[in-house]
Amino acid sequence: MQTVEQVPVTVLTGFLGAGKTTLLNRILTENHGRKYAVIVNEFGEQGIDNDLVVDADEEVFEMNNGCICCTVRGDLIRILGGLMKRADQLDAIIVETTGLADPAPVAQTFFVDQDVADKTKLDAIVTVADAVHLNSQLGEHHEAEEQIAFADVVLLNKVDLVDEKGLENVKARIKKINPYAKIIKTTRCAAPLDEILGLNAFSLKRVLEVEPDFLESDHDHDHDDDVTSISFVSETPLNMDKFQTWFGNLLQTHGQDILRSKGILNFAEKDERYVFQGVHMLMDASPMGPWPKNAERNSRVVFIGRNLENMGLQEGFEGCKS
Amino acid sequence: MNIDLQTKNIVKTKLEQRGNEYKIKAPVTGSVVLNNAVVASFGDGSLRFFGLNQEPFEVKAHKGVILTMSSNGQFVYTGGDDGKFLKISCDGQINEIYNFGSQWVDCVASTENYFACSSGKKAYLWVKDDSKPLIMDNSSTVGGLSFDLDGNKLAVSSYGGVTVWQRGDRRWKSSRFVWKGSHGKVTFSPDGKYLVSAMQENEVHGWRIRDKIDLAMAGYPAKIKSFTWAGNTPFLVTSGASEAICWPFDGKEGPLGRKPTCVANGGKQNATFVENLPQENAVFAGFQDGSVVLSEIDETKKSYLVRNATGSEVTAISISNDKSHILIGDAMGNILWSPLWAGDN
Repeated sequence: MQTVEQVPVTVLTGFLGAGKTTLLNRILTENHGRKYAVIVNEFGEQGIDNDLVVDADEEVFEMNNGCICCTVRGDLIRILGGLMKRADQLDAIIVETTGLADPAPVAQTFFVDQDVADKTKLDAIVTVADAVHLNSQLGEHHEAEEQIAFADVVLLNKVDLVDEKGLENVKARIKKINPYAKIIKTTRCAAPLDEILGLNAFSLKRVLEVEPDFLESDHDHDHDDDVTSISFVSETPLNMDKFQTWFGNLLQTHGQDILRSKGILNFAEKDERYVFQGVHMLMDASPMGPWPKNAERNSRVVFIGRNLENMGLQEGFEGCKS
Repeated sequence: MNIDLQTKNIVKTKLEQRGNEYKIKAPVTGSVVLNNAVVASFGDGSLRFFGLNQEPFEVKAHKGVILTMSSNGQFVYTGGDDGKFLKISCDGQINEIYNFGSQWVDCVASTENYFACSSGKKAYLWVKDDSKPLIMDNSSTVGGLSFDLDGNKLAVSSYGGVTVWQRGDRRWKSSRFVWKGSHGKVTFSPDGKYLVSAMQENEVHGWRIRDKIDLAMAGYPAKIKSFTWAGNTPFLVTSGASEAICWPFDGKEGPLGRKPTCVANGGKQNATFVENLPQENAVFAGFQDGSVVLSEIDETKKSYLVRNATGSEVTAISISNDKSHILIGDAMGNILWSPLWAGDN
């Protein structure tokens, strides 16, 4: 039997000046003994002569599949297809996006294009944030919020340039938008590469392992951030049909505002745990084996997005109880 | 996908028994016919020439992946991820036409008189004996290039449609064929009346060139990576489904309102490559598991397994000009080069 291993792809986002280039240069020049291809946008001036650096130009295509927010990165489909024809196997691929890019089309490419999904897998979205400027950037550019909202890891860079209070402020701000993201504090992006690459954050299995910070993020409405998160827990088992109907409708009608969603579900009369995760209207879901013997059987869901308070999420979720 | 290969029990097909099998350490990225030889391109930048009465020979052409290849019968044109656009003769002489540096050469096309390539959003067209290319700008990256059989029209596909450039008395004039979505591989029908492109969505889109009437050929379970014109009808034969899907392009309206003929069933997997058997109403379909089936384009006829599964998707099939030999290649670098007919060794 010959099976081709999927090459992990890490998406690197972050505002201009946050330190993406520093991180890319480290990935390209450090003696890590691995073969990484780096896809950079055309505005990036890497100045590194390396045949594993590929220029891209962020071509966002709309898909004609009746899903209004379904966009993909056309250039990424082409480039990943080309990289998969190489004679040598790559250990990982890193995709840099421009500072003002919405991460959704990149993530959606892995849900929509079968060839991309067969041969590569989205590993994680890593957002480099500038500890000094993130607060003001969040207020001025919705892209900054999206980049935090989509992140699996936030590399909070330049922490040496802010005091402790400032640092706590910016961390709290990140947590409010995205309680799921792991925050790594760095100066000059000097985090170990294995905390950034090879995380498997988009595998459904990982949804089971990463616990969101429920308490900290719980319905704290005094902020002025546009993007927020809401999470629910239910001890009562859910009805599968009711959940599917509600969740399907929810993504259909509010998918544009729901940036990411994740959850572990306990359905009545099902012995297995169900896990899902989504990007806008697209989602992956699957049973993930039986509940562990000692674990509580409860359902947990998290939404990150805009206008979440207007979607009747609480009522909808309650209505799924069996 | 997982394929259980019970290599011990596999009965070799007639073609496998007659032919030679090669294992190259790089994916086969394409193949073309050049004179009486078939040339295969690989992911390590090499080309291999398979002739009728000689051992195959290798030419190191590109530094990286050969992404695209075309033949005009005299020369092979190749584009690579090393940014080079090359012209290679039948004895393996390499001539660099253009070097795009760090930009990939994504598509090439050639005819007796002209040759073209694309890199990024631009298509470049060379007229014979003219060293400066005509440059055709597009608003997005070029997805496919194709000349018509006469060689006077060049189709350039991109996001939102296909632009057809036609040679006029003094200059090349363009005409745009619009259809929402991203267009890739593109082809003209043999009679030049239709234009067809494979889309990012699982469908092929066609236009009748005369009046730009749209022909949407949809319903595929997978993306269409390969198509070919077959038979006298002719049929547009496409991959992207568990069978070779053959759309009839005869009559005044071609496939408009008609059903395709579906032949060469591959079971629960999709065809990844299709190629016609020249001058016959028949087609080879290669599948995800590496198997290749030959079938007449007639749903009542039986199809024949010509190559067993290898575990890797078929990425190339070519028939030599004299119809004596076939080359089959896959994404793991397996090549079968075999006489098509018994007693034709």
